[in-house]
Amino acid sequence: MAMRGRKEETEVSRTNETGIRKVATQIAGMDEVLNGGLPAGQTTLISGGPGTGKSVLGLEFLYRGAAAGEPGIFVTFEERASDVRQNALTLGWNLTPLEQAGKLFLMEAHVDPQAVLSGDFNLKGLIAIINGKTTAMRASRIVIDALDVLLRLFDDPARERNELYVLHDWLIDHDMTTVLTVKTSKNGESSGRYEFLDFMANCVISLDQPVTEQIATRRLRVLKYRGSGFGRNEYPFCITDEGINIIPISFAGLQHKALGPKVSSGHPQLDALLDGGYRRGSCTLMSGTTGTGKTSVASTFVRSACERGEKVLYIDFEESQEAMVSGMLSPGIDLRPAVQAGTLRFLTAMPEAMGVEEHLSRVFKAIKAFQPDHVIVDAISSCERMGTRMAAFGYLTRVVNTCKERGIPLILINQTAGFREENEISGIGISSMVDTIIFLRYIEIGGEINRMVLVMKSRGSKHSNQYREFLITDHGIEIPEVYVGEGGVLTGAARQEQEARQEAQHRRRFQEIEQKEHEVIQRRAALQAQTATLKAELQAAEAQLQAFRLDEKVWQNGRTKRGEMRGEDAASTRLSTHPPRPKRRGARRPGGAR
Amino acid sequence: MKRYGQKGRAEAAETRGKPCIFRLFVAGDEQNSRQARENLKRLCEKHLNRRYEIEIVDVLEDFKSALENNVLLTPALMVLSHLTQVTIFGTLSDTHKVLSALQLT
Repeated sequence: MAMRGRKEETEVSRTNETGIRKVATQIAGMDEVLNGGLPAGQTTLISGGPGTGKSVLGLEFLYRGAAAGEPGIFVTFEERASDVRQNALTLGWNLTPLEQAGKLFLMEAHVDPQAVLSGDFNLKGLIAIINGKTTAMRASRIVIDALDVLLRLFDDPARERNELYVLHDWLIDHDMTTVLTVKTSKNGESSGRYEFLDFMANCVISLDQPVTEQIATRRLRVLKYRGSGFGRNEYPFCITDEGINIIPISFAGLQHKALGPKVSSGHPQLDALLDGGYRRGSCTLMSGTTGTGKTSVASTFVRSACERGEKVLYIDFEESQEAMVSGMLSPGIDLRPAVQAGTLRFLTAMPEAMGVEEHLSRVFKAIKAFQPDHVIVDAISSCERMGTRMAAFGYLTRVVNTCKERGIPLILINQTAGFREENEISGIGISSMVDTIIFLRYIEIGGEINRMVLVMKSRGSKHSNQYREFLITDHGIEIPEVYVGEGGVLTGAARQEQEARQEAQHRRRFQEIEQKEHEVIQRRAALQAQTATLKAELQAAEAQLQAFRLDEKVWQNGRTKRGEMRGEDAASTRLSTHPPRPKRRGARRPGGAR
Repeated sequence: MKRYGQKGRAEAAETRGKPCIFRLFVAGDEQNSRQARENLKRLCEKHLNRRYEIEIVDVLEDFKSALENNVLLTPALMVLSHLTQVTIFGTLSDTHKVLSALQLT
């Protein structure tokens, strides 16, 4: 056997902080979860039930490597090579040119089920083939798919283990970056029989696909990674027409852009309620019961944005593009020019048509390809039909995060069953991510239903806190001038009646005021007359008082002069320190004058 | 690659007079490969009365033959002269099982 001692540093391998060599998988999201990639020259085990995506994961690793010039071998025990090629094509990978270029080798390792077993045997045939091919291709990557099929032939756990260790040692000795896939039982736990594989491998990845409420979600979890850190969550992923796509939720949402300037809602009065409009980079929630006009308000915005030449991605879970566009014609909102101009693009799907991950993948692809300036989701309440409330939450969190990271303003439409539950208004528990909430509702007054709009919350804005009447006319939405009546905000016929009543009352009050004004003038005149009389009396009294004071002064002066002339110091001192009391004044004056 | 006897064609297999043609895949001089060689030779001598040919392929030297014949496990015995292709994995220690697989009983 030709032994090779090969240690090639490839351009895709890199070392992390602990010095482990890693090989980047180039699979969307995978290298983030693996802190850089798979361990180079080591074995990675991928376990999971049937149909969980093990083979696709392994094949994508080889495909991406081969496309980057890194040769690899795919050993399959279950599928025919032609099936592998065909399946790869559905994922957008054409393997044939890579095979012809010697960058990829599909080895159909089919063990004839009719084969007779007699006595001891081992895996030397397989190892010889792998050795021959790796030498010829200078391959450094190998995926052995469904190894359990081969191992089962040994029919003896001890032999299985021994043989696998021989194979494993060979792969390590030859510095092969290896991926082994092994089927596990349906409950996702690896059966005890293959537990030793977990110990043998340096990296263990588990895949499963739980089905909740008829919707399947693929999940990936790294169980261990010797000598390296890794993302420890359960990561949902999907298999798209571009391969595997893992969206690590815990890595999302760290780089939100700050809220930007205001952008018009497309309606001047709504702008006034919103203190200028929606903010760029913000998330607006439009909540309301069915038929309250959520889509009309959103479409008003869509039309104005598209008229400004901005691109809008409309994710519609409720109806088809045709139904939506023609439905908006009746309130006079014509979206057809925007669709024709290519500034408005729809992404429609039934929520239950696919799992959350596929929905997400479609959204992300559309955002990437279309580069929209605005994203509308109609309606987030439908997202629960993707599976569970949790699934809907996961979907929305990631859509909101992606838009916020890119600074794309997002409008979420939420259909509520009623308006009592605060939680329901704010929509599947995402209110903390929402910057603005516009609440639309019906109110019933006098046997008539009218629409109302309220801006419940708007971060960083002095928004109106008032319920406003809101009409859908055949030329769009209308928010009439605010009506401040006595019984709160009124709408419709009730408003008109109340206005008429109010006017009558107003007229009556006006007359009363006129009468009263007249009375006031008269009274003021009377008051003025009386005041004049009293003033005159007061002035007379004041003049008298003045005269008395003058009199007193004259008397005082005279007395002082007399005292000086007589030299009566004591008398003057006594008198000056004890001024005469008013009571005794009359009695003394005659005596003093003597 | 070592050859015992002369290589023949599979179509001639069913005729009693024609030789049985075997191809035995071994992995160098491993113990179970050696055992398989010995077991096959003894079996042929005893039951085929010299009407046989054995072709030995060492997978360590000729991985392409192993790949073409999908021999992942060694030792492996292929019978080329039967119409029904049979592959037997192992040291061929169970003579009765081997004979029955070769339809020689």
